Amino acid sequence: MLVDLIQQLFNGLVIGSIYTLVALGLTIIFGILGIAHFAHGSVAMFGGYITYFFIASLGFGLFPSMAAAMAVGALLGVGLERIAYYPVRNAPPINAFIIALGLTLIIEKSNLILFGVDQIIIPTGFTRVFNVGGVTLPELRVYILAIAAVLVIGLTILIQRTWMGMAVRAVAQNRPAAVLMGINVNAVSMFVFALSSALGVAAGVLVGALFAIAPGVSGGLVVKGFAVLILGGLGSIPGAIVGGLVLGVSETFASAFISSAYKDVIAFLLMIGVLLVKPEGLMRRSAAR
Amino acid sequence: MSRIVLLAAVAAAALAFPHLVTANYFIHLAVLAIIWMIVAQGTNVIQGYTGYVSIAQGGFMGIGAYSSALLSLDAGFPVWIAMLVAPLATAVAAIIAGYPSLRVKGHYFAIVTLAMNMVIFIVLVNWIPVTGGEAGTSGIPAPEPISIGGLEISFERRVNYYYLVLVALALVMLLVTAVVRSRVGLVLQAIRQNETFAEAAGVACWRYKLFSFVFSASLAGFAGALYAHYLSFISPAPFSVDHSLNAILAVILGGSGTLAGPLVGAALTTALPEMLRIAETFRLIIYGVGLVLVVIFLPRGLVPWVADLVGRFAGRRKDAGAENR
Repeated sequence: MLVDLIQQLFNGLVIGSIYTLVALGLTIIFGILGIAHFAHGSVAMFGGYITYFFIASLGFGLFPSMAAAMAVGALLGVGLERIAYYPVRNAPPINAFIIALGLTLIIEKSNLILFGVDQIIIPTGFTRVFNVGGVTLPELRVYILAIAAVLVIGLTILIQRTWMGMAVRAVAQNRPAAVLMGINVNAVSMFVFALSSALGVAAGVLVGALFAIAPGVSGGLVVKGFAVLILGGLGSIPGAIVGGLVLGVSETFASAFISSAYKDVIAFLLMIGVLLVKPEGLMRRSAAR
Repeated sequence: MSRIVLLAAVAAAALAFPHLVTANYFIHLAVLAIIWMIVAQGTNVIQGYTGYVSIAQGGFMGIGAYSSALLSLDAGFPVWIAMLVAPLATAVAAIIAGYPSLRVKGHYFAIVTLAMNMVIFIVLVNWIPVTGGEAGTSGIPAPEPISIGGLEISFERRVNYYYLVLVALALVMLLVTAVVRSRVGLVLQAIRQNETFAEAAGVACWRYKLFSFVFSASLAGFAGALYAHYLSFISPAPFSVDHSLNAILAVILGGSGTLAGPLVGAALTTALPEMLRIAETFRLIIYGVGLVLVVIFLPRGLVPWVADLVGRFAGRRKDAGAENR
């Protein structure tokens, strides 16, 4: 029984780490620009497809392909910000949300035209399985956890220790004051879109390696990302990390011990429960309501 | 004055439509468009007038559709009764769902309602003994025939069902107009403009928000019932998040916070995809591009934009035209 619990905890953390990556991108964009970037999931899937393309058609290795795809994703993110979100920056938030829905349609269906309807599994070659005291640890899952951890730590350093990261935090805290201090808000929004799209692409690659990439996966992914945001608090980076892991673990436990068909329902009930008890999210102290 | 003329012209066109256009396919589209207009008008109440974006309207439509279908199929209720109970059942579901979720605002609310729609969808797919799962429920009866002055009207006929949904839409429009123009409607608009201020002015905002949410959901449920008895077959697919987004799109496209906007928007979102029948995927890309362009260039929607244009032309001809709008 204990072994079972630890096994499910491990599986949950692996899935949770992917949710965390998705949610981190969403939460930085939300923190800086107040946009619910619904197209994030389709960008992630696009990244997964392009990684597969680099590996299967151009013969690159897994990690170079992933890095290249993250760069392409970053460019795509900047393009989206410039073309679609920038013109509505002063309009009511609902407009940006509708734009996001339009972008989701465009990217999702472009994926379909460019890469076809078949599901794709990114080949990794990591097939070994470790066994520690009865707990099965597939090599691939261990690496996914490690990659996610490296990316999260890298992001934290970027945000906490660099000049650009400080500018991002300043804009998130107080936009007018940041502008008065001479911070170029335009550059910050482009930077944020590049960063979070690259993270989203990384998440897409991990999903493609662990499960599969197929049309329709992106919607589920982005909704889980938003669920994490609600759990952790919109705009909070520690909240995205904790929320992602909590969601992953509770979902895995629910599907292992209660019902796999209703696992998403349980995840959403958890979210609504958190809203009732602590509407500002698990990791936020100030009640922003 | 010109508004009354316009209204009469639209009503006459709607009444004459099945006789002018006799192709079954177009009447079918018109019935669907009218059903979507009811859903969009409901979305408009919560989104356009109250300022809360609900992404659960598709799911509520599903609750209405399934409850009406199952009441008439399994419980043996007359269809007319089932169709009236459906919005009430949807309202009960909306009260349960709305009470916790209306504690949060803005994007939080939108995301929670999105999750709600997914929950409804998952339940519809997995609760197989009741809903039939993805295979759906078929053999849903049409409303019983009624006789007016010895003339029997059967709703198995498409044209008659068209008139039925048209009457339903007219009733919904009357109801929504009455609500929007009442004190409650004013409070809802106050909440949209500045909720903190409304609260400070002594309004118990949560009651009005809950009312708005439940009212919009029961309109969606009513539309769902009309949909179920029209097609006689339902599956979970039309009640997914995609269709909630479609309703939001209809409201934005037509003009949110206007009474005519959602009607125009729903007609366009039903007709445009049919007209753009190049290929499914390209069509949706064009749709997405159109959406982005409309929000960037016509953020208030088509109806206010056209009204402005007309107002400007009229204003040029006779200077006092500005007030009649």
